[in-house]
Amino acid sequence: MKFNRAKIVDQNFAAAVTRGRFPSSRLSAEPGHQPDDDVLAALFESQIISRHFDLKAREMKDKNACFYTIGSSGHEGNAVFGRLLRPNDMAFLHYRSAAFFLERARQIPGTTPFYDLALSFVSSSEDPITGGRHKVFGSAEMSMPPQTSTIASHLPKAVGAAISIDRAAALNLEDRILPDDGIIVCSFGDASLNQAAALSAINTALWASHHGIPVPIIFICEDNGLGISVKTPSNWIESVYGRRTGLQYVECDGLHLIDLLEKTTVAEKAVRKRRKPLFLRMKTVRLLGHAGSDIQSTYHSLEKIEAAEANDPLLHSARIIRKRNIMSGEEMALLYESLRRQVGAVFEHASGRPKLSTAADVITTILPPKGAKTAMPMIQKEKRKRIFGNEFSRLGEPQHMAKLINYALTDILARYQGAVAFGEDVGRKGGVYHVTAGLQEKFGPRRVFDSMLDETSIIGTAIGMAHNGFLPIAEIQFLAYFHNAEDQLRGEAATLSFFSLGKFVNPVILRVPGLAYQKGFGGHFHNDNSLAVFRDIPGIIIACPSNGADAARMLWTVAREAHENGRISVFIEPIALYMTKDLHNQGDRGWSFAYPDPDKEIELGEFTIHGTGRNLTIVTYGNGAYLSRKAADVLEKKHRKKCRIIDLRWLAPLNEEGLVKSLGKCPNILIVEECRRTGSMGEALVGLFAQGCTHRPAIKLHAAEDCFIPLGEAATAILPTKETILAAALEMVT
Amino acid sequence: MKERIAVICPGRGGYTRDTQGYLARGDLGDDLVRLDAQRRGNGLPTLSELDNSPFHASTHLPGEHASVLIYACGLMDFLSIDRDRYEIVAITGNSMGWYTALGLGGALADGRDYTLLQTMGAMMKDGLVGGQLITPLVDSEWRRDPERERLLDEALESAGKSVYYSIRYGGYAVIGGEEKGLNELEKMLPSIDDDPFRIPYNGAFHTPLMAEISSCAFDLLPETLFRQPSVPLIDGRGTVWRPHSASITALRDYTLGYQVTETFDFSAAVAVMVKEFCTDRVVLLGPGNPLGGAVGHVLIQENWLDIDSKTSFLNRQAEDPFVISMGIPEQRRLVTA
Repeated sequence: MKFNRAKIVDQNFAAAVTRGRFPSSRLSAEPGHQPDDDVLAALFESQIISRHFDLKAREMKDKNACFYTIGSSGHEGNAVFGRLLRPNDMAFLHYRSAAFFLERARQIPGTTPFYDLALSFVSSSEDPITGGRHKVFGSAEMSMPPQTSTIASHLPKAVGAAISIDRAAALNLEDRILPDDGIIVCSFGDASLNQAAALSAINTALWASHHGIPVPIIFICEDNGLGISVKTPSNWIESVYGRRTGLQYVECDGLHLIDLLEKTTVAEKAVRKRRKPLFLRMKTVRLLGHAGSDIQSTYHSLEKIEAAEANDPLLHSARIIRKRNIMSGEEMALLYESLRRQVGAVFEHASGRPKLSTAADVITTILPPKGAKTAMPMIQKEKRKRIFGNEFSRLGEPQHMAKLINYALTDILARYQGAVAFGEDVGRKGGVYHVTAGLQEKFGPRRVFDSMLDETSIIGTAIGMAHNGFLPIAEIQFLAYFHNAEDQLRGEAATLSFFSLGKFVNPVILRVPGLAYQKGFGGHFHNDNSLAVFRDIPGIIIACPSNGADAARMLWTVAREAHENGRISVFIEPIALYMTKDLHNQGDRGWSFAYPDPDKEIELGEFTIHGTGRNLTIVTYGNGAYLSRKAADVLEKKHRKKCRIIDLRWLAPLNEEGLVKSLGKCPNILIVEECRRTGSMGEALVGLFAQGCTHRPAIKLHAAEDCFIPLGEAATAILPTKETILAAALEMVT
Repeated sequence: MKERIAVICPGRGGYTRDTQGYLARGDLGDDLVRLDAQRRGNGLPTLSELDNSPFHASTHLPGEHASVLIYACGLMDFLSIDRDRYEIVAITGNSMGWYTALGLGGALADGRDYTLLQTMGAMMKDGLVGGQLITPLVDSEWRRDPERERLLDEALESAGKSVYYSIRYGGYAVIGGEEKGLNELEKMLPSIDDDPFRIPYNGAFHTPLMAEISSCAFDLLPETLFRQPSVPLIDGRGTVWRPHSASITALRDYTLGYQVTETFDFSAAVAVMVKEFCTDRVVLLGPGNPLGGAVGHVLIQENWLDIDSKTSFLNRQAEDPFVISMGIPEQRRLVTA
């Protein structure tokens, strides 16, 4: 009994309102704000409903009919945010936001927050936002992208969305979703504020704001003083954020509805008008533990638990309601019980609704719905001429990959109004390899711009801008830099469609220069050669062209996929091939290509085949394709043996059926893999061919060693080279 | 444990030749005496007189008589629900049924139910503004028919600003507008049985053509007429007005403003009612069963209780009716003492 705090908290309410014994206000002076009685009553109602959802969820959990018990108890003050912020102020919410959800729903007639929340709690496939995939606070009509984050990883994209609002207005972006005077709200707990992603987000907001960029965002820290069992020092939040230059700081008592109304009004007005970030700290308590499974008594004394329960926000609200004579104690008790019955009835009904059961059902939402937007027309020749300027006459001349990607980006920025290109050094400098050179001059600093050196910020900004109709093309300067930000792609961007039934999309293109073989230096950061970090993320497109013509054509494809189908792409650009012009001999220009016509896309999964040999097929991509072409030349000319080379181009989606078919009865398959063997594409291909090729060919994987790339001349010692590829090929065919 | 029920109040279409004498079959008691006195005081035939006289469309259907008459029928049914067995947890209504819902839900000051109903009902006694037609958007199994929806959308677009969506009424569209526009619409929409059907004695309710009526209503009906409801009410947008938290100012603004001049979304009201309250049953007030079909359509649209067709709706009704029409004697018996 001592441990069933839910029951005790529940009983406390009835006892308090019946006896008229309420906790005293924590404020030294009562706020001057005078809200209407009906406003206070509505907020009180939402707080009670929120509480009943928590209580009912625990009851249903015991019957194995509910699967999520991280509750909102203690945080019911966030009802005020739901009321005072507009329903189209996009909200990225903490997992304790039931009261916010309920209050925002009041602003939109016809919404069914009870039912929708209950369906989410019981993971019914009829849940209108996740379709039974997670318990979230999300809603398309309430501009509330579903958040599953427990580690503040939703903050960077919230900042991106905030940056996007005034940017979209300034560019008069036709596809913009958020209103021009809108603001963004994101909420989180005091413990998750210590996460790197949170620090990155706040830093980004301040950095951008410092540069004069409008960043209308309210960071709401719902400070209950605990991260599961770990205490947050009482003055920690204030000491870190209370006096940050450029960050307005507002503090409110989460137990006092009127103080919340007063302070939130100040915060909302300030951000809407000044377009600068604001930090709103709501001091509150946590009730019922971290989640249903959390036994507070293992780390808290009973005295402490009871002290928090004595400060139940519902009891504080009841004091205010009673004092203002809005309801009698008996009326409050009746309201509490009638709402309990309503929540109970809705929950019971929802628990009988269907669940997802098959893998096919579950995975249907990994990809966003196709054709959400219509195809963008091609740019007329005259306009292209104008945009390309003097370069236009040189488009037909053979060029290296860096130049052709630059041309392709030019066409994409011209064709898609929402396309923006950014990253460290992307703007003014034009990229460390000049891939984005001249783009800022052509399209202006609102569309082509420098970011700070923080990959979490770069990807978060891209995701957030995509929430508002942009088509962000963000550059991660080197593949290795992606790793400290991978959750932004893995846990956030890639999951959005999955957890929102495709109602929200964040079509982002990540350009990632990377892979090994750079001449003159090595080092694992600039030559990172593992793509495993991308390969297991469901639903994303992974492109890896081996030459400039393919790169341009594939870049158009991913831009169209982003625009029309909401797809997310990772575009791996082999740095070593950026400036490569020749194939076999110096000056042969065998790896230089004319810029293709912009309507000649390469469809997803479409690979290319070089050569006509029937005895050996080399399957490869990127640098591997280039080196294999070199090796094949020697194989044919010196050893009189022909082979075929399949250049995959797309690593995901992999055209498995097409590959197996194209191999036909070829008896020898050599997979040339420039990445580390473990977790590599090559490993997947071995599995594919072993299972799919019924004629049982010999399969050999020639991959890089499971090692980090060293500095200097030893850099290529662990990688496949022309010579080792040739040797491997000869081994198979002689 | 009492059963939790939600109540739906009818619009003006229920009192017909077939249901004439409805009030006399029940017992409205003191309320009928009061309403009759209020009518008499206004120099109008009493409800008892109307109910007892032979049905004449020109007498019984115009708003100055029909509104309060239907209200009284709804009130009588409402009061006869057995409260020992049933807890009424929400009330909604269709079109003028919203006024009835306000009255039954305690949102009108004592005795002012008559004022609201009679004032709003008699607004067009000197001449109707526009009219209404009704056309189905569902197939024979009461499922959405996208082709009919498309034809209606095209017709509405073609007819321009003289016609408007008046009521989203389950599987029916009620269109309000000027005579000319409605005539045009009638020609454009496919003729199926009697549809599209012009609703006699109805004006272009719930359309911008009612702007003047709305303005008059604000002049005539002060805020003191309204109170916070005692039971949650669901309006013609799907907004829930709860005891204690309903703003009286907003309630009046909606009732005399938006509700008069904008589309009445009865479908949304019913959907919100079933989903947000998950009651054991839904009870339809008033004579006949004019709401039954539209409510059935909404249940099918929402796949409520796995009802996905007219057949499954009727099967459910035959087994254990979820929708109880008090105008049908055998169903009425289920909820009365």
